[in-house]
Amino acid sequence: MMALCRNAFARDLRPYTLLGIVIVIVGVIDHGTGFFFRGATLFSIMQIFATYGLVSLAVGLSLLVREFDISVAGMVSLAGAVAVLAGARDPWLGVGLALLVGLVGGAAQGLIITRLGLGSVGVTLGGLLSFQGLTYVLTGNQSISFDHVELALALNAPIGVVLSVRSMIVIAAFVLAAVVMQFSRVGRDILATGGDRRASTMAGVNTGGIVFGVFAASGLLCALSGVVLSYGLAAASPAALSDVLAPAAAGAIIGGVSVVGGRGRPAGIAAGVLVLCVLRSGLNAAGASADMLDIATGLVLLLIAVLDAPELARRLTEWRLHRRGA
Amino acid sequence: MTGALLRVTRAASPALLLRGGGGGALLIWALLTPGFLSRLSLLSMLSAISFVGCVTVGMGFITISGNIMSLALGATVSAASVVFMASLGAGLVPAVLIALLFGAAITAAQGVVVGYFRANAILVSIAALTLILGIAAHLTGGERIYPGGDGFAFFKGRIWMLPFETWLFAGCALAGQAILSFTRIGRDIIMTGSNREAARTVGVDVPIAVIAAYAIAGATSALAGILLAARYGSGDMDIGGGYEYRAIAAVLVGGIAIRGGAGSVLRGCAGVVVITVIEMVLRLRGYGEEWQYLITGLVLLGVVMAQSEGTRR
Repeated sequence: MMALCRNAFARDLRPYTLLGIVIVIVGVIDHGTGFFFRGATLFSIMQIFATYGLVSLAVGLSLLVREFDISVAGMVSLAGAVAVLAGARDPWLGVGLALLVGLVGGAAQGLIITRLGLGSVGVTLGGLLSFQGLTYVLTGNQSISFDHVELALALNAPIGVVLSVRSMIVIAAFVLAAVVMQFSRVGRDILATGGDRRASTMAGVNTGGIVFGVFAASGLLCALSGVVLSYGLAAASPAALSDVLAPAAAGAIIGGVSVVGGRGRPAGIAAGVLVLCVLRSGLNAAGASADMLDIATGLVLLLIAVLDAPELARRLTEWRLHRRGA
Repeated sequence: MTGALLRVTRAASPALLLRGGGGGALLIWALLTPGFLSRLSLLSMLSAISFVGCVTVGMGFITISGNIMSLALGATVSAASVVFMASLGAGLVPAVLIALLFGAAITAAQGVVVGYFRANAILVSIAALTLILGIAAHLTGGERIYPGGDGFAFFKGRIWMLPFETWLFAGCALAGQAILSFTRIGRDIIMTGSNREAARTVGVDVPIAVIAAYAIAGATSALAGILLAARYGSGDMDIGGGYEYRAIAAVLVGGIAIRGGAGSVLRGCAGVVVITVIEMVLRLRGYGEEWQYLITGLVLLGVVMAQSEGTRR
């Protein structure tokens, strides 16, 4: 029984265990009203998933190689603005241009980080402010509406009760990422690079190329997220930076991605994001305000940051020995 | 003589040349901007420098301690402004102390986790940011908080031509520099940032040094919150928005190393002046607020790239 418990909370299974726990808790709180297990609620959970999933995946990928891409929030806003502005006549042009901006922006950051040997936090902080600033400049610091309302309706129309085109695009990206990570050499190299970069380089892994590729992919994923979001809302507005970064990081971390690199899976990240989505939907159902979700997200982030801290075990042992000695 | 000359040439690294050249160009650009030397713009720059400067002094301590930045300092500024306004009923001095202690405590809490367990500092600060915003929104309901008493009117005045906040900022910067240069905890913070393991080996209490750096950052951010609240006559959760980004930009532009272990408070202050002058020149030349983020970001990116020599492993 103990062993089972320990296994269930081991990193690889933790996201699914947490997801199960959250579903049970929300189900119990909600029991009787039957709100939670309705199709409409599941649909709204998947819509929230579609909003945060790809950004979480992007942050998670950067954490996998032991970097931290904090520019994601800026790229989501920028790609959304580019898509809406360039897609006014032809929406596909907007999609193409926004994805290109994401790819180029991410690749530029990856190039700076790998070529100059710089820490990713500093570089992506510059990227974050530049992307956000570019968004403000492009939109003139106001919300810009998108005329193709029929497109927004089509993206959000329910498919098979629970899904929509919007959430299916996000799920497809997750499946693709999972396949690449699981079955390709690139996936193995990504994990190896995050686990021990120097050893991987010695073993012949092109670690520089992997880090570069991860940042390019992160930019692309954020751009896709921004396009899907702004087309789905039929508007682009510069989002507050903290509104995106916190849930994105929380999803990845709950999803079992280690901040010290080398561990984590796209499927786990998906489960981690779903934990937050179920939590939000459950709190909504219970009539709690959005503040409670912020507080819950913050607490979970803090808890996992502590649990994953490299010196936690050592400190605990120290304190236990100290108490025994005293 | 030749030795001195050699030293000078060697000191003139590309980063230094870039910094000197950039500073000179900025100065010329500023002086060529009509209205830059007007009384109004100088006074408004002094105020802006003072508000951002307090946060920068604190952010500098976090950077030097080897933890890059806390994304929660802007929210700490806001929360401290609310706490200050709400506790003014108890009198001015108690309110100031409560707000300072509040800022120091919530930021030191991040330092505890980072210092003792070596948790990821950026992640912890994102968690703290989310918690501060969530709890504050829950408690205030998003409302603006008006003073529960008066007595802060003289905060808006001037002493010897300079705004009150400028004097406090100057005191804050000098005190910060004194702590860093002349006290044991300051030395410990620098050593921790330079090499955590080596610092531990020579007997530095690394967790305490990190917690001290965070506590100082929280207190100086709270000071900015108090000054902003006094200036606007109310406190709210938007008052410090974006201050964390301006402060880290100032820290890096001033030349404090992003990897930690090197730099001074006064360098951070120089960075604040540069950032504020850029913002003022942009505003005077008719570029809206939206350009400030972009320019700040590009400058930050350039400065980080210029630090690459020192960071290459």
